[in-house]
Amino acid sequence: MSEQVIELKGSVLSLTVLHIYSADINETKASLAKKIEQAPSFFVGIPIIIEPKIELSDPTFLALLVEYLHQLQMIPIGLRSKDPVIQEQATYTGLAIFPEDTRRPTNEGSDEKPRAAIQEKQPEQPAEPNYAPVVMDEPGLKSALVIERAIRSGQQIYAKDRDLIVLGSVNPGAEIIADGNITVFGKLQGKAIAGTAGCMNAKIFAKQMNPELVCIAGIYQLADDIDEQYKNNGLVEIRLKDEQLIMSAM
Amino acid sequence: MSKVIVVTSGKGGVGKTTTSASISTALAQKGKKVAVIDFDVGLRNLDLIMGVERRVVYDFVNVVQGEATLKQALIKDKRVEGLYILAASQTRDKDALTQEGVERVINELKEDGFDFIVCDSPAGIEKGAQLALYFADEAIVVTNPEVSSVRDSDRILGILQAKSRKAEEGGAVEEHLVLTRYNPSRVNAGEMLSKDDVVDLLSIKLLGVVPESQDVLNASNSGEPVVLAQDTDAAQAYLDIVERFLGGEVDHRFLEEEKKGLFKKLFGK
Repeated sequence: MSEQVIELKGSVLSLTVLHIYSADINETKASLAKKIEQAPSFFVGIPIIIEPKIELSDPTFLALLVEYLHQLQMIPIGLRSKDPVIQEQATYTGLAIFPEDTRRPTNEGSDEKPRAAIQEKQPEQPAEPNYAPVVMDEPGLKSALVIERAIRSGQQIYAKDRDLIVLGSVNPGAEIIADGNITVFGKLQGKAIAGTAGCMNAKIFAKQMNPELVCIAGIYQLADDIDEQYKNNGLVEIRLKDEQLIMSAM
Repeated sequence: MSKVIVVTSGKGGVGKTTTSASISTALAQKGKKVAVIDFDVGLRNLDLIMGVERRVVYDFVNVVQGEATLKQALIKDKRVEGLYILAASQTRDKDALTQEGVERVINELKEDGFDFIVCDSPAGIEKGAQLALYFADEAIVVTNPEVSSVRDSDRILGILQAKSRKAEEGGAVEEHLVLTRYNPSRVNAGEMLSKDDVVDLLSIKLLGVVPESQDVLNASNSGEPVVLAQDTDAAQAYLDIVERFLGGEVDHRFLEEEKKGLFKKLFGK
């Protein structure tokens, strides 16, 4: 029996990125010290990626910064920059080089407009307003995304990595999607898709429902397949059991 | 303070232009200064319903493109004081409108002291409709009591919540519902959605119900907003709507089947 000794796998991790806006090492150090003073224990042992936002002409800057971060008990592991000069410095200092930021563009320093999800031109405005804003980068506990209004035909709400609670109705032609559970306090008449990331324990609760489609972890039922007794007849719980959607009136 | 009102629906043929014309006229009758703009470029209708199609020299597109001044293009209504019409062009398409141009026209109207600027939206959810609703402070959503119209109105309400300037600034456009072509006897027969069904689904405030009526068609054909045909149900309904819009309390009418008395039964209508 050969036991597996090692395995190389790709993994997406959440790391802290340190943006540098000053080419002056002393100023940077002072600013770092001040930041860490606010929560000394929080930064101990955390991996750091350095991302200079300005041109660094001083060839010792990176080495000094890495040294200082070590002193502060942080662990600089890499650099993100496309400047070949800084990249070269990084290899001397033993830092890994990460590709340039390819996530969705942030407001600062990025000129390129986000790709339009909707065709029409809306100057100076990322064309994604049909979706509820979803904050995705915060680590730790994620509370449910709560939508207090009705979700209308053509609108789509996605609660990434969390539950979704809708206080209004989900009208026909609307779509609500959550990686966690879904609860609807109004009428559920559109599509509800829970456990999108594959969570088999996700559930859907609706106070009153006649949905176009319900789906948990990829297992779905269309309106016609849903037993009439659950339609427009009070609170219903939908869960997954043995790859089958089980509905029960509550 | 000028207010920009968009009259919209999503679906076509539900009575947007009729409603725009009647509401604008009634607002002007109440002593307000009103401009009504036809955003349906290429398919102008408003000037026909207002009976000014023979007086159009310059239109909305000319003003947006800077080929004419607003003064030249605004057509003053001959029946009601304080009512002005900005007609759509018949020879251009909707791409002739630009956001900057529309904004300029609306700002100019505001500076001219108009109390209400009524934007008659084209059907659909494309550029023309989006431009019509973008600058709105209030929206009047026109719906017929049937499923497809209600769905489309739901969709347009979603767009109002997402793509109007108010929404972008973190506010909200005030939404009103006008239910047109309402026929209580057909509702009772189950052939039409009831007022309650529609209000329940759209969950916005009902401004009024306009009964289905031959008078609307007659008025349109003669180039007169139906609200000027005082003794008709439709005119009464629109007057109620404007009263409520301006904050008055008026009971809803035209929701029940008209009971025919013996006399009417014997002699027809």
